[in-house]
Amino acid sequence: MSATATDRGTGRIGQAARKRDGALLLTGGARYIDDVRPPGTLYAAVVRSTVANARIRRVHAGEAEALPGTVLVLTGERARDLAAPTPYFIDPLVRGARRVDIRCLEPDRVVFVGQPVAAVVADTREGAQRAARLVRVDYDVLPHVLDAERALEPDAPRVYAEWPDNVVLSKSYGTGDPDGALESADVVVEGTFRSGRTTTAPIEPRGFLAHWDEHAQTLTMHGSCQNPHQLRWMLSATLGIPENRIRVVTEKVGGSFGLKMQGQPEETLVALLSMLAGAPVKWIEDRRESFLAGSRQQVHRFTVGARSDGRIVALVDRIVADAGAMTAQAGWAMPNMSATTLPSGYRVPDCRIDLSIVATNKPPLSAARGFGKDSAHLVMERAVDLVARRLGLDPAVVRERNFIRSDEFPYRTSTGLNIDSGDFHGLLDKATTSLGYRRWRERQREARASGEHIGLGLALELTPESSDSPGSFVSGFDTTTVRMSVTGSVTVLTGVTSPGGGNDTGIAQIVATELGVPLEWVRVVQGDTDRCPNGFGNFSGRSMVVGGGSAALAARDVRRTLALVGARMLGVPDAEVRDGAVVDPAGAGAVPVPEVALAVLTRSFDVASGVEPILESTRAYKPGNIDHRPDAHGRIQPYPTYSSCVHAAAVRVDAETGRVEIADYAMAHDCGTMINPALVEGQAWGAVVMGLGAALSEQLVFGEDGATLSDRFKSYLMPRAADVPEIRMEHQVTPSPYTMHGNKGAGEAGVGGAQAAIANAVEDALSPFGVVVDRVPLTPPAVLELIRRAAQEVAP
Amino acid sequence: MNRIRLNVNGEDREVEVDPRRLLVHAVREEVGLTGTHVGCLTGDCGACTVLVDDRSVKSCSVLAVSADGARLRTIEDLGTEDDLDPVQRAFLEEFAFQCGYCLPGMLLTVRELLDRDPDPGEEDIVQAVSGNLCRCTGYGPILRAVRSAVRATREADRP
Repeated sequence: MSATATDRGTGRIGQAARKRDGALLLTGGARYIDDVRPPGTLYAAVVRSTVANARIRRVHAGEAEALPGTVLVLTGERARDLAAPTPYFIDPLVRGARRVDIRCLEPDRVVFVGQPVAAVVADTREGAQRAARLVRVDYDVLPHVLDAERALEPDAPRVYAEWPDNVVLSKSYGTGDPDGALESADVVVEGTFRSGRTTTAPIEPRGFLAHWDEHAQTLTMHGSCQNPHQLRWMLSATLGIPENRIRVVTEKVGGSFGLKMQGQPEETLVALLSMLAGAPVKWIEDRRESFLAGSRQQVHRFTVGARSDGRIVALVDRIVADAGAMTAQAGWAMPNMSATTLPSGYRVPDCRIDLSIVATNKPPLSAARGFGKDSAHLVMERAVDLVARRLGLDPAVVRERNFIRSDEFPYRTSTGLNIDSGDFHGLLDKATTSLGYRRWRERQREARASGEHIGLGLALELTPESSDSPGSFVSGFDTTTVRMSVTGSVTVLTGVTSPGGGNDTGIAQIVATELGVPLEWVRVVQGDTDRCPNGFGNFSGRSMVVGGGSAALAARDVRRTLALVGARMLGVPDAEVRDGAVVDPAGAGAVPVPEVALAVLTRSFDVASGVEPILESTRAYKPGNIDHRPDAHGRIQPYPTYSSCVHAAAVRVDAETGRVEIADYAMAHDCGTMINPALVEGQAWGAVVMGLGAALSEQLVFGEDGATLSDRFKSYLMPRAADVPEIRMEHQVTPSPYTMHGNKGAGEAGVGGAQAAIANAVEDALSPFGVVVDRVPLTPPAVLELIRRAAQEVAP
Repeated sequence: MNRIRLNVNGEDREVEVDPRRLLVHAVREEVGLTGTHVGCLTGDCGACTVLVDDRSVKSCSVLAVSADGARLRTIEDLGTEDDLDPVQRAFLEEFAFQCGYCLPGMLLTVRELLDRDPDPGEEDIVQAVSGNLCRCTGYGPILRAVRSAVRATREADRP
């Protein structure tokens, strides 16, 4: 076994090693869930409700059952007897919120258009879909409510009849005396902001293939999913099968962004259908079904007070978040993070954030990149810009005067987050320099003279990462096994999974570095509950923090044994492991690692005597800074580390058509130590463009009946190559003191800051009209509406 | 059922398909080549792009029977893991993909672009790639990879 020179140079921590599955993906050889097709596979299709709020009177399955090729039709009534309600990923009761039972098929009622009410299994996919269309459902239709603010009114239709109102969670955050601080402020600015409902839309939709083996009494579940161990637990809970008889295997995941976190009805459903059919059953979500999942939708009414020099003294925000219907997936809890991420990286000790998460008759929220933190940045960055505008100060100056300084960390925010480290002034400087902020200001002046509308927008984005939520499977630690074979090859089995971002490559780099062997000796196995140690999968930028941290601990154990036995073989007191060899630091000799591995495992009563003959270690890693003990204000600290970035955007707005063109864009990004800078950049670019989509074009639109109208890529407008600028990317590295390698988590930062920077830039561009931007997406009609409204306010 | 003839990646194949069968499903299931992916079935995302008689086609928007007699080229024919096509190599070097799901369609779109014009302008590149959706990369690395593949082709062609 030998390393090539080029690979050896790119395999260590901090180097831009290429994606290890790259060649496989490039040649079409990777296996995604829809490529798994064991002999005898049957296909499932889901019958979904066509009404937004109703009691189910009767399900007519006869015609579907009579269709040749139909194997079975499962109704909610029958499923209720066979499967228990789905346990919540984040239990509402633990958070002081209301809950309802979520079942794989609803037996009695539906609360949104698209809710699963029955399922069909047939011998072909098309057959299953045809049969599903033949299932008729009689409903007693009830009034429904689609708007969260309307849902809060006392006479609004009730989403869940047994609740006294439509409030899922009502909670206040913050400390100090914001009302007093507002009274004594030099300026007080009020604002409203509405974010549109967006969706994650990975190019590969969700999908599962379940195989119940009647003889062995085992269930194997292949899936495109982020959290295989939690999924195993959930299937055990809903189907009553012991966990040790369930195996969940994650295939190559074609993007996820939170969508494929566990907790959706179809997971239990597909497993149950396989048990009933006695055959492997596959279900692949179609694009229309995928568009049901909501990412975010909030209304903020905020008041911010500042001194005349721009220093912000208080923030009060009232958030109404539209959860849609309840879900057992983590999505319903996202707005909570919108509240606690305020006031972001600004020094505002007097805050009050009142949050209402509201149920409506829309499809549920599904976890989405940003996990609610993104919406906090929209509001905070709008508030900072409104203060700057009121005082006639440049937004960059107001930010400088309010950022938490780099010598103030760790810094406890008013809402309880303990920010570990950072340098926000440094980021602002890097972003504005990269964009050419001053030059753009010149151009803006010149352009205005000729009637052209250029605007600049800035945004800080603080991204709490690697969350641990008490009493849930949102876990702040993870576990990895590092195992060396007799020939020196290394297998890494880890509890974290990769939805495509490449953390398998990063973890291999950590193991190669910590173990002292070439990268290509290392193979990483993820997403198999029968092979990998108990873990929690991918979310919250955790994979490199805790997957990488636990891999390092395990690799160090193996390295110690190699060094000990290698030193004996060399006849020296101490030895090091470097580049695949155990070497005498004094230079007296070296022995290749495979020879040492062979000695440990075959000469355990000779050179390895007194050494436990095992080249394997399983370790869990818990980062620092998390503290779930409430302080005097009842605040907890669920994050070890906080990534940060500053966005700087220049836009041109056509006031005739309302079209926004992104003329230039820079992001200065700080996720602490970068394990693989190329993979970090890739994550950041992707997140920024997802944010640009939410800022300018993406929006789930619903008809009055509650049906999703934007149910395809023709009507849900995701950015295409021609829509996005070349993004300038600058890095700053402030290592976290609380994580193993000083890394902070990458992948979420970008979604919120990009929306905020564009909103601020569009307002700046249209300031001659007196436009106040109070919403995203800023589609051409929305921009024209803002201009028209501003004109009416100026000349009533 | 209809029997159709296809030349897939240089090999003559005869497959039985339902007249309603989409070409993408025939390629994946009857021919058995799963590198071509399904993303939307509405002709919008481009994950199912294959070359039909040297032209890039969204194979979810074509009935298999209408491709009777056609010459198909799929991702499986572009290059091997040990001998990547210059376009594949450029995508690898520029980190122009993450999850890889849109990748086969993206590569065939770019391959067609370069087959028709080995030295396309920036607008041609952006326009070609704009027919395919990618949710991971933000497109910047993809455009850089295409430019890099163009440069590599130009240098290889230099006498």
